[in-house]
Amino acid sequence: MTTTKPDRYDVWVMATVAISLAGFVVGLTWIPGIAASDFPTVDWPWVEGLGIDLAFRVDGLSLLFVLLITGVGVPVLGYAAAYASDGAKRRRLCLLLFAFLLAMLGLVTADDLITLFVFWEATTVISYLLIGFDHEREAARRSALQGLLVTAAGGLALLAGLVLLGAEAGTFRLSELPAALADTDPSDLTLSLVLILCGCFTKSAQLPFHFWLPNAMAAPTPVSAYLHSATMVKAGIYLMARVHPVYSDHELWFPVLTVVGAATAVWASIQALRQTDLKLMLAHTTVMALGTLTMFLGSSSPVAVAAAATFIVVHALYKSTLFLVIGVIDRRTGTRDRRLVSGLSSVLPMTAIAAFAGAFSMAGFPPFLGFIGKELKYEGALAIAEEPGLVIVAAVAANAMMVAIALAVSVRSFLGQPSDVDAGTPPPRLMVAVPLFLGLCGLIFGLAPSLIGETIVQPAATAVLGMPAEIKLALWHGVNLPLLLSIVTVVLGIGLYFWLDRITLGLDRIGARLPVSGDRIYDAVLHTTLDGAKRLTSVVQGGRLPVYIGLSFAAVGLALLVGAVGDEAETWSAIRLEPLEPWEIASLALLAVGAALAIAGRRRLTALCGLAAVGVGTTLVFLMHGAVDVAVTQFMVEALIVVFVAAVIPKIPPFESIRRSVRERVARGLLAAFVGLGATLALLRLAPPVDRTITSFYEQMSVPEAFGRNVVNVILVDFRALDTLGEVAVVVIAAFGAFALLRGRRFSRGAE
Amino acid sequence: MNAVTSLPVMMPASAEIFLAIAGMVLLMIGVFRGESSLRFLSYATIATFAVAAILVVTQGGGGEAFYGLFVSEGFAQFAKILILIGSAFAVLLSRDYLVREQAGRFEFPILILFATLGMLMMVSANDLMSLYMSLELQSLSLYVMASIRRDTLKATEAGLKYFVLGALSSGMLLYGCSMIYGFAGTTSFTGLAAVFAAQTGVVPLGLVIGIVFLIAGLAFKVSAVPFHMWTPDVYEGAPTPVTALFAVAPKIAALALFVRAMMDPFADLIGSWQQVLVFVSIASMGLGALGALVQTNIKRLMAYSSIGHMGYLLVGIAAGNQAGVTGVMLYLATYIFMNVGTFAMILAMRRDGRLVEEIGDLAGLSKTHPMMALALMIFMFSMAGIPPLAGFFGKWYVFMAAVDAGLFGLAVIGILTSVIGAFYYLRIIKIMYFDEATQPLDDAVSQDLRVILYGSAVVTVLFVLFISPVYDAAKVAAISLVGA
Repeated sequence: MTTTKPDRYDVWVMATVAISLAGFVVGLTWIPGIAASDFPTVDWPWVEGLGIDLAFRVDGLSLLFVLLITGVGVPVLGYAAAYASDGAKRRRLCLLLFAFLLAMLGLVTADDLITLFVFWEATTVISYLLIGFDHEREAARRSALQGLLVTAAGGLALLAGLVLLGAEAGTFRLSELPAALADTDPSDLTLSLVLILCGCFTKSAQLPFHFWLPNAMAAPTPVSAYLHSATMVKAGIYLMARVHPVYSDHELWFPVLTVVGAATAVWASIQALRQTDLKLMLAHTTVMALGTLTMFLGSSSPVAVAAAATFIVVHALYKSTLFLVIGVIDRRTGTRDRRLVSGLSSVLPMTAIAAFAGAFSMAGFPPFLGFIGKELKYEGALAIAEEPGLVIVAAVAANAMMVAIALAVSVRSFLGQPSDVDAGTPPPRLMVAVPLFLGLCGLIFGLAPSLIGETIVQPAATAVLGMPAEIKLALWHGVNLPLLLSIVTVVLGIGLYFWLDRITLGLDRIGARLPVSGDRIYDAVLHTTLDGAKRLTSVVQGGRLPVYIGLSFAAVGLALLVGAVGDEAETWSAIRLEPLEPWEIASLALLAVGAALAIAGRRRLTALCGLAAVGVGTTLVFLMHGAVDVAVTQFMVEALIVVFVAAVIPKIPPFESIRRSVRERVARGLLAAFVGLGATLALLRLAPPVDRTITSFYEQMSVPEAFGRNVVNVILVDFRALDTLGEVAVVVIAAFGAFALLRGRRFSRGAE
Repeated sequence: MNAVTSLPVMMPASAEIFLAIAGMVLLMIGVFRGESSLRFLSYATIATFAVAAILVVTQGGGGEAFYGLFVSEGFAQFAKILILIGSAFAVLLSRDYLVREQAGRFEFPILILFATLGMLMMVSANDLMSLYMSLELQSLSLYVMASIRRDTLKATEAGLKYFVLGALSSGMLLYGCSMIYGFAGTTSFTGLAAVFAAQTGVVPLGLVIGIVFLIAGLAFKVSAVPFHMWTPDVYEGAPTPVTALFAVAPKIAALALFVRAMMDPFADLIGSWQQVLVFVSIASMGLGALGALVQTNIKRLMAYSSIGHMGYLLVGIAAGNQAGVTGVMLYLATYIFMNVGTFAMILAMRRDGRLVEEIGDLAGLSKTHPMMALALMIFMFSMAGIPPLAGFFGKWYVFMAAVDAGLFGLAVIGILTSVIGAFYYLRIIKIMYFDEATQPLDDAVSQDLRVILYGSAVVTVLFVLFISPVYDAAKVAAISLVGA
């Protein structure tokens, strides 16, 4: 750390705000160009051989997100500067938030699948650091890790999906994908679709991966406001919108998105009603909003897509407002329990205005932007030709619960009997101003929807649909079905609000009895994996050499068995065993007796003799097949082994002291039998055609070339004289080793 | 053939010949000057590696030597440069350790030198016989190094285990070689390739068994499942600089040898070995990831991590195409720096002057040693394959090669195990950044270690800028082996 203590006007903090603001302004200047289909692009070759380019392209959809990321980012950075208690923390928080902002910008503007993935992972990693910002708390660490694992797992599935998609299309350019895949059979895209959706669903907290998002509320308030309103969780939504033109004709796209989205929206709303912690409540409503967006993106209807695009803006504004308001409440009262907080409008008048603005937008009351968003949602739901019933029921149910929650956050907290505020401290002015600004934005855009309608929402919808869409946002559409649905929603919502406490209790009771929850499944998976890993390593990697050798042999036996039995079983009948000669039987008998002795020997020396007999038997086999030189070498090696072992026997614990359990003996016996069986079968199947070329060569050449009638002698001392010399040399060197060993023993004994 | 005409045929092996002569000279110096020459021998060894690297680079297109037993082409040259870098780092890493632990034995750098010589020859082996000889030269040096601290029980046990299992695997490899020779009638890679190219119809079972045994022997050297058992024990038991050597240079050599063996003589028998490699690869990725989860010793963790990495690298070989070989070479280039950096960090972990190796000892490192924590975080993220760090590109490219070869299942399983892998790498980061330190590590870290640690971190981060030239070099190397 530098010696100068960073304060609120820390140069780093100011720089992050300034650069973000500049980004926002640049984004604004792009609006006219993008409306005229003139997209700003950047294209740097990166890894030419891999076909990866650093390519960026800003179209309507990207612009919508660029403006949201910077537009919400600037106020949140200001809030964070006021929120953090000391200078070092403030700088760290703002820099991390800024890094996150940059990663998000890269993600939404990337035109290359791999570039997109790189930024996608960057957001995952930075969000890990942000959620775990208060790392002194165990809950923060657990939540950070959980969020990371779930989203990183999804991220890798996404990578697999993107690779498959790029391979199928022959290009990794997002902007070229729809054209490149126009003639592709949709069924070829199924695997990539499923994998990409896994990535999107984990990032955007869709069922059944929704559980990490509410847990991520362990993060500081500005992080929650930023990550869970405008940015991180919207990355999945962005990607779904981005690949919409590629996949919307796929038979899975509509049903999966609609059903998962609807189920997430309704389930999350119910969960939200259950909460008493205001922040957790909002977290669940975020999941609800994401579900709604997913549901609408399932459709190809222009109105539904426009509804989604509008709702992205609406949600970002009201949700960041409300999160920041709750941060203020927390600071002032020291609690976030909605049952303990009331009547704050007298102590926090400005925050009360922000809270009402945000909550009314969330509830969809006119003239706030939320009203327009909600009307458009109903209109969009009615326009989804395939399944309007399901979507409408889900939308109305979720929105009615939103109304109840919005009232709980605003009316319950700020009106009525003032509650005790002794536990907290007055928040800095900036912390109050920021939510007020964001809340008022919701009101201004509601009153003048054309500010965002044709400039931002329409180009975004156009980009998603792949064709020009005409969107008109207006407060008043006349009396129509959406308006009637809105009235139903509000009535239902107010009813829910008055019964809220009882509903919470009831839901809590039901919730406690639910056998499964995402969180519990996550824990189970994590623990099973760790336990399994522990068991695996203790069995396979106990540190005992016999086990290692046993496993190696087992693997070899298995390979032999699979090889021998694996293919073309009909050749079994072709195996012909030649009758054995008497001396062959004799040498085999020697082998067998030796092996039996080695196994059954009660004393080490007996076993050693058995082993030696096996060696001699093997040597005899070589000898009988004419490999005299090999036999001689083998014999010398066997002799040396006996010498070596005999030399060390006195130094190691007596054989009799090593008692093996019956179980161990049986296990070893089975292993030996298994490997033996594999080797036997494999050798039987080999049935080698005996190649007599070499043998006949020596037989014919020994007299004319080497003037010797004893073929064996000629081979050893003439044809392969150098080999023999080498073999003798090896044995002599080994003997030197044995000598050194024996001498060393004498020395060590002398030293004692 | 007389001496004059046979001289030029040795030129492709100039680097190896130089290393052999230099090794013997240095050994003599060590014998006569004793332990006091350690410092000189270390630097002389590094200088020898540098000269060898220059010889490798300047030999141009290479060619065959020793009547076809030895071959050097772009592929071998690329691998040799990587091996020489890895070995030079190992010597550098050991210097500080040997002095501080009073384990200074002059044989140490010389053993590294001879092991390196074996590795270079492995990469260039063009015959089953030269393959075996070079493999043993490398292995025997490494067996000794694993137990060079004879006075500690752990090191002796590690060395013994390594030797026994290594001998077993050598036996398997030889058995496989003899089977192959028996059925193909030649040990030369060129000859084998010609035999198999001419062969039509069913591959004889004996040949398949021979190849499987050969793969088993090679799998042991790269510590792939199910012949990985020595790895965690040896990594943990051996002195840390030795582990640092084991983790890098021999792995590169064995993998390059693996690539050559599969892609050169047995390329036409891909149907016989692809399934085996797919199995070994999946098992390695899975066991590496699962095993690492529960480790508390950081060297043991690195052992499992390397098993997992070998699994990913084998994906590239299993793909059996030029893209796969390119991916393997690129992966290896990134692998060096991540591993060397991590081991520099492990060697820097001292408390009250004593080396510590528990992962828990890293707690709170971000506060006491922020730069070291940052460097280790970079290595961990890179090994987890998180873009845009170096480690991502290797993984990305071998998986792409597998997809190209139609091995979708393998690619998907690889990605799934990466998730588990990410978990244990991130656990280290969590401990460094989020846990409270009980007792901080020592401040005094030698200059050598600092330079290696931060240098490797910078390379890992900036690799993304230089990926194009490295990729091109890897591709040229791959094409020289398998064609375009």
